[in-house]
This record gives sequence, structure tokens and C-alpha cells, in this order.
Amino acid sequence: MYKKTALNFLLLFSSTLLLAQAKYTVSGTVKEKSSGEMLIGVSITIEEKANVGVITNEYGFYSLSLPQGKYTLRFSYIGYEHKLISVELNSNVTENVDLEDGIFLQEAVVTSRKYDDNLTTSAMGTEILSMKTAAVVPVLLGEKDLVKTILLMPGMKSNGEGSNGFSVRGGTADQNLILLDAAPVYNASHLLGIFSTFNSDAIKDATIIKGNSPAQFGGRLSSVLDVKMKEGNNKTYQASGGIGLISSRLTIEGPLFQKEKSSFIISGRRTYVDIFARLSSDFKDVELYFYDLNVKANFAINNKNKIYFSGYFGKDVLAVSDLFGSNWGNATGTLRWNSVLSSKLFSNTSLIYSNYDFNLGFQNDGSEINYNSKIKDLNLKQDFSFYPNSQNTLRFGFNLIHHNITPAKAKGMNIVSNKNNREGLENSVYISNSLKASDKINIDYGLRFSFYSILGGDTYNIYQNNELVESVKLANGKVDKTYYNFEPRISINYRVNNTSSLKAAYARNTQHLHLMSNSTGGSPTDQWIGNSYNIKPEIADQISFGFSKNFNENMFELNAETYYKSMQNQIDYKDGADINIVQDIESQLLFGKGRAYGLEILLKKNKGKLTGWIGYTLSKTERKINGINNDEWYNAKYDRTHDLSVVGIYNLTPQWTLSCTFIYSTGNAVTFPTGKYVLNGMTIYQYDNRNADRMPVTHRLDISLTYEVPSNGKYRSSWNFGLYNVYGRQNPYSINFKENKDNPQKIDAEQLSLFRWIPSITYNFKF
Amino acid sequence: MKNIISIIVVALFFTGCTKIIDLDYKGNMSKIVIEGNITNQAGPYFVKITKSVGLTETGVYPTIDDAIVTISDDAGNSELLTPNGNGIYKTSNLIGVEGRTYTLTVETENRTYTAQSAMPEQTPFDSIRVDNITIRGDTEYNLIPAYKDPIEKGNNYRFVLSINNKLINQHFIQNDEVKNGFENTFKLDVNDDDLEPKSGDLINIEMQCIDKKVALFYTTLALIADSGPGGGTTPNNPPNNISNGALGIFSAHTAETKSIIIP
Repeated sequence: MYKKTALNFLLLFSSTLLLAQAKYTVSGTVKEKSSGEMLIGVSITIEEKANVGVITNEYGFYSLSLPQGKYTLRFSYIGYEHKLISVELNSNVTENVDLEDGIFLQEAVVTSRKYDDNLTTSAMGTEILSMKTAAVVPVLLGEKDLVKTILLMPGMKSNGEGSNGFSVRGGTADQNLILLDAAPVYNASHLLGIFSTFNSDAIKDATIIKGNSPAQFGGRLSSVLDVKMKEGNNKTYQASGGIGLISSRLTIEGPLFQKEKSSFIISGRRTYVDIFARLSSDFKDVELYFYDLNVKANFAINNKNKIYFSGYFGKDVLAVSDLFGSNWGNATGTLRWNSVLSSKLFSNTSLIYSNYDFNLGFQNDGSEINYNSKIKDLNLKQDFSFYPNSQNTLRFGFNLIHHNITPAKAKGMNIVSNKNNREGLENSVYISNSLKASDKINIDYGLRFSFYSILGGDTYNIYQNNELVESVKLANGKVDKTYYNFEPRISINYRVNNTSSLKAAYARNTQHLHLMSNSTGGSPTDQWIGNSYNIKPEIADQISFGFSKNFNENMFELNAETYYKSMQNQIDYKDGADINIVQDIESQLLFGKGRAYGLEILLKKNKGKLTGWIGYTLSKTERKINGINNDEWYNAKYDRTHDLSVVGIYNLTPQWTLSCTFIYSTGNAVTFPTGKYVLNGMTIYQYDNRNADRMPVTHRLDISLTYEVPSNGKYRSSWNFGLYNVYGRQNPYSINFKENKDNPQKIDAEQLSLFRWIPSITYNFKF
Repeated sequence: MKNIISIIVVALFFTGCTKIIDLDYKGNMSKIVIEGNITNQAGPYFVKITKSVGLTETGVYPTIDDAIVTISDDAGNSELLTPNGNGIYKTSNLIGVEGRTYTLTVETENRTYTAQSAMPEQTPFDSIRVDNITIRGDTEYNLIPAYKDPIEKGNNYRFVLSINNKLINQHFIQNDEVKNGFENTFKLDVNDDDLEPKSGDLINIEMQCIDKKVALFYTTLALIADSGPGGGTTPNNPPNNISNGALGIFSAHTAETKSIIIP
């Protein structure tokens, strides 16, 4: 059956190639005028031909093939002035374009795409967020945070205050692929989840794709969060930075070697909240800080070839005198080579390194115990974009990843631990095509073929019905069991009329790396494990339907989507499993399936003094795991029926901007005790169905007020005042049950809340 | 793109707070609870049969006094226990011996519940060690049960702690998964700040060598109690060794008690 599917796909692709009969090609790159930053997703349309158009790829490149003739190209991108360029196609033409930003300077920008893009693109479940939006949305402690802002979109659920983990369409935190310049980031949080690892000064934009990702992405079930770093100003040198009470930042950027061709950016950040905390005697011996460093450089070899290097290094440290110490961090590096092989063929080759490690040490009776775990990836990625004619954009390529995982193991005096590193190869090839079938229909379709191989070097135990049946010792370097998966993807957009469109999509995703966590996600002690003989690739099939309508000349934009997702080979743990200590974690696992469905509605106001959006999600997500809840379906932890977020940005005057967010969501599904009994003098709680109860609802209002000081010339400054949780709602973080101190027969439910009324003040200046 | 130099002034208030809330609880299905203990100390040994009640009920726990309760061992001994009132049943001749496996049978309300537990060999409980550590100017007392784990792997220990004759409602389980065959260095960590040991306190610790299933039962209870922030481990009725869905545990274990007054 797989063979037949593959054959059909091949036919589909070859037919598009046969259609290729265009005469000449106009191609080039689109940049921001002031800094020379590449612009991604700029829409290029032809005034003379309604159904022809293309968008710039991740490197600002575009290519359009048209019959001989005279054309007017329209370049449009929200937040930038559109540009019309006339070309006469008698031969292949290169047209590099600079767009000027700032026509909407007085207006906050909600989306960074063309206003009616939602009607023409077939991409489903996709949201793009620019740092311009993130800059004005109020956040905890006033630190701009891309991840926190993107969680205000429908279908995305934060795992709670003080956590950067999130759940997309009923998935778990580990089912999100988080990429920083194509390098996977395994733990995207700092300071126990209060901040994300993304330093806003160094980030260009971020795209979240909720399950219907194009075929070039893969490896996670629920979503792709694709974060891109800035390239640096290639026209003038600039230094910017900030000194604050809890953190300091410094960014330097400028041209490298040749002006307007190459550039670099270095951006660093460190918090030192602990230095002030130590002034209080309670925290005298506490160390608690993080730092991170983003570096990026690009170098143009010639007009057709460009080399990029980007790197990230971040570390968290948490220690209490010499009793306890821990540190964890990510390091990533990406070396890329962009090449315009012809006016129709664009190539990108990336060599990617990624490392996440975690160390924890306890002082215990003069001897020390250390826990350490690590995941190290080496990754080669090749992507081609091929523009055969004005109707088709073909993408194909491959990805080879070598994973090396050190499981959490204890080290120290008298400790015997014989856990070994495990290695795996995660490979894939893909092909996809974006077809403008008519002026009303766009189709994106593709196929990804992924295969994961277990590599030797460790002993693998095989369990059946919870019993060990076989141990397989694999010699170093030996390639053993390989899992093969086909992942077809398709999405269709039908433009009903000028203001509305209908969409449908199907996608299969597979996942070969799985997070083992006793917590709710985002804990530094979480560890990853690859496929094995027991752990099979997780598979998700998602089908979705959507409707988009724009009103009042694109002032309002309504997007509604429904989805149904079915998941196979989901993982949970046996009762009493302590995954950090147990010798073979695989002996503690249970397997089953999951399903999730829902409706997401997003209403945006794109223009005017008041801009913003309302996002609402109605959803359900369940699991059925053999050995849990009598093998019956139960609510997954992040099953929240209602989820509402409202974001409003209001320009009071050219100087004053008021913005606020309001969120409301049903409580997480949890298990409360139903009864109690006494055993050996201690009260023990009795439980019934898993996750049949609800935490209290969470709701909160945050506001921020920005004042732009009127500027003379180059020097500009602004004040930002923020208040988190305006009305001091005690939102539930956890609930503990305990005996009442005065009447031990009475059981009290005690709720812990984290943040009430957190004000912040920020002063920004710019010259 | 932006020459922004920012100075961030953050007024930082971590205002974590707790309050008692009212929740809607689901109805409870009352179940049989069996508590049985056999030790290597002199008898009699007791089995207690009660029923669970709804979480918000405050009365006494219902007891079952008309059950047929027998205990046998793998050395051919068997005994019918005599009811003693209040749901308690008592042995008269049975002797708890290390290395023997005991089987408990309870017949009541037309159902039969059985359970098995093997009493491990005793690991001697040497003493209670008290270490004091000064953190933030306060002295904290760490209670460390001193014992030497035998060289064979797979030993499980349970500790029952009382401070000033008040039983601490916490499940302390240790094993030799990480360190096998060495002196124990792990402390018993009291979670409740109000009950933390202080100078002058009378400390009583009973050390039990328990079998694997009993250890899993108590480890699960301890993990549920730990679940703290965000609710880590999903709570459940811990897996036990009694058939037919009864709650509780039947434990054949060694027992040795030490006490000390914190200087």
C-alpha cells in the first residue's frame, strides 16, 4: 500500500514538472532598506495576472517564471511600504528589492504578512509573530517573550504560570519541535520556566505550525515553532543594550568585510536577580541566574552564494551554598550555505549541532552525588526550492540526524551505575509542491519519508506484558532495528470570493524522540529517549477544515478551524515509577493511544487606532493507555474545554499606547481523591477515575502603557509601565489535600497561587 | 534595526500564597480496606478490616467483624485468626520468621481476598544519626538511619518515624538501587515545617525490611504526596498485593526500633 501511495505522489510531482513551459524568470532577494535584513514571506504578485504569485522563502529569495512580456510586480509586506516594479522579460532578470519599513509606525502590527494572505495561502494552523507584536504585549516582569506571546493564539495552551512548556491541540510539551535557526532547542526555558531561551533582541520572527506543517518539517507530532535570528545590520555599525534591575543586555551588529553584503550580530543577556536577593539574609547562600549569547554572521561569497553561521549558548545556574548545585543549558550551532544554482533553483545546506545537558549535585554526608544527562545531535540538512513555472513551487531535500543520548545517571562515591549512552539515526527525505491550480485554488501537497535506526553500544531489553523476555546487546556502531514511516501531507485552499475562503488539510507526523518526565514539562531534569524495541515511533494523523473571511477592506479578519487528531504509540508510566532512579526506564513504560479534537476561532483587527485579536478554543483531548484507568479513555492533563484570550492595543495619542491581554481557561484535568481510609495509623486517600476532576478556572488581566518621548533626531526613548494580574486573581498552581490541624477528620483542599499584582517599569532609549 | 538601549526597572514581587478552597467531589465507592502485618518480633500479629468513606465524611470508619481470616506460611503452618472487635483479628500461635512467605485469606461479604508477602532477612538497624546543618542562620537536624546494606541487590526498607510520640504521616522508603552494599547516608526528610525535628525532641524510628511489592505500594504513596507544584505524578490507588480490588496492604517484614533525644 505504501508503494502505491509513493508512486501516486511521484506521478503527481512529475506532472507538475511537465507543465513547466515558462519562458523567462525574474528572481532575487527582498531586504529591509534600513538594515539589509532579509524579509521572509514577502508576497510578490503580478498586477497583470491575478492567479500568479509567490512569497519569499526563509532566506528572502523568490523566483517567478512567466511568458515573455511586460509585467508590474507588486511587493507587499505588512509594516512596510509596498513597492511596484516594472520588468520587461526578454531574458532572465534578477531583481533585488529593498522595502522601506515604518508606514505604520504609529500602529502596532498584529501580523507580518499581506493583509488578505489568510485568504490565499493554503497553510493551515499557522501563525506568524514578529517581534514588533511581542514588544507591546504585556508580559510578566516586562521581559518581552516570544513564546508567551505566541501562546495567546488559539489552539496553544500554556502549561501554567512559571512554565514555558506548552500544549498544542492536545499534544504534550515534548511534541513541539522548537527550532532556532534550524537547530533543535531541547529545553526552551530559563529560570525554572519564567523566561524563554529566546533573547528578543536577537530574534527576527517566529512561526508556529499546529500539526499541518509542510513536508520539510518533521519529527514531532503537534507543532513546529520555527524561530529565526536576525542577521545583523549590513549597512552601519550599531551597539544597543540595556541595564536593568534583574538583567542586562548588549547587542552589537554591523557589516562584516563588505558593506551591504555581509553582516554580523552578537547579543548577550544575563540576569542577576540573585545578587539583590542575597542582600536579604533569607537568600544569602542562593545562586540563581542565567545567561545566554546569540551570535550570527553571514558572508556573501558572490551574488549567488552566501554563508551563514549562527550560534546560541545559554546556561542556568541554581545553587544553595555547597549543599546543592545544578546547572543546565543548550548550545546550538548552525553553518549554512545558500546558493542560487539557477534563477529557478535555490539550495540551502545546513550543518547543525545541538547539545542540551543537565547537571545536579547533592552534598550528602561529606560525599557527593551527581546526576548528569545529555542529548547531543549532529544534523545535516539539504533543501532545494525549485520554481519551474509561475504555478508551482517545488521543495525537496533530506535530513540526517545523529542523536547521542546520555541517560540521567548518578555518579559519586560508592555508586554503581551501568547506564550507557544510546545512539540513533533519524533520517528523512521529502518532496512537496505548492500549486496555484487556478485563481481560486491553491494546493500544497508533499510526502515525507522518515526512518529511525537504533545504533549499537548499549543493551536493549525487550518487554512483553511487563515481563523481560529478551536482552539484545548491540556492538558499537552496529545498525539494528529500523522504523520506516511515510508521512503524506496535503492542504487545499479554495477562494470562494474576494473576502472569504475555505480550507482543508490532512497531515501525518511521526516522532522518534520522546521525553521522560515526572513533571508537567519544562523541568530541567527531563530526559529524552529514542525509539527502541519497546518504544515505537509516535504517529499522529490530523485532519482539519477552515474558513476565513475578511471584513471592512481587510480591517477585520476571521479565521475558524476545526481539527481531529488521532495519535498512536503514546507513552505513560506505571504507578510508582521513579524515572530518575530506575535502572532501565523502559521497564516502567505503558503504551496506548490518544485523540484530540476542537474548534479554534481567531478574530483579528488589523488596522485602526485599536488593533488586536480575540482567540477562542473549544477542545477535547483524551488518552487510552493499557494499564491506566482500567484501559478506558480518560482526559489528558491539558484537556481544557474553553480557552479564551483577548489582546488589545490602543493608540491613545501618537505618544501613548495602551495594551492589555485577558485570558480565561477551564482548569486542567486532574484527579482529586474521592474517599479516604486509615492504614497503619496514617490517612490515605482513595481515588477513582483518572483526571475526572477540574482545577478551578484561570483568568487574568494584564496591562501595559507605553509612552514614546517626543524625539529630536536620532535619539529616541520610551517608558513602559506594566501590571501583571491587574485584579490580583489567585489562579491555581497546585492543590494539596491535608488534614485540618484542629480537626484531623476533616480534609482541607489547599490551593497554591504564584503571581498576584506584578508591576514592572521599563525605560528604553535608542540612538 | 533598532538601536534600543533599555534599562529595565522591575519591581519584583513573588507573592505566592495559599488558601483553603471548596471543591466539588465525586461520589466515593466504599471499599474493603485490609491492613495486615507479620513481623519477626513476638506475636500476636493483627489484621484489621475496615471500609473506606467519602472524603468529606468525618465520622468513624465502618469496621467488619464477621470475616473469616486465615494466615498460612510456606513452612506448612496455618491459623484462623480470632475476631477481637473494632475490625481487628488476632493470631495466637503463628511465629514470624525471616525468609518465609505468608499468605493471608479474608472471606467477607461473599468475596474472598488473598494476599502474599515474603519476609526478607533482617538488615541490622545500627543507630539514628543526627547531623546538624546551619542554613540561613537556622540549625536543621537531619535524621539518618544508620545501617549497612547487604551486598546482595534488591533490598527495600521502610521507616516509621515519630517525633515526641507523634506519628509523622509520611512514607519513608529507601532501597539499594543507587548505592548497593554500603552504609546508608540518606536522611528522612520531614516535609511539614511545623513538625521539623528540633533540639530536645524525642525521635523514634522503626526500621522495616520489606518485600518488593510492599515497597512499591509505599513508594507510590510517597510519589503522590510529593506531586506538589503543578501536580507531577497523577495520583491513583497504589498497586498493592491484595486480590479482588481491596485497598490496603499485607506486609511481612522485620522490625527494629531505635530512639534518641536530639541534643
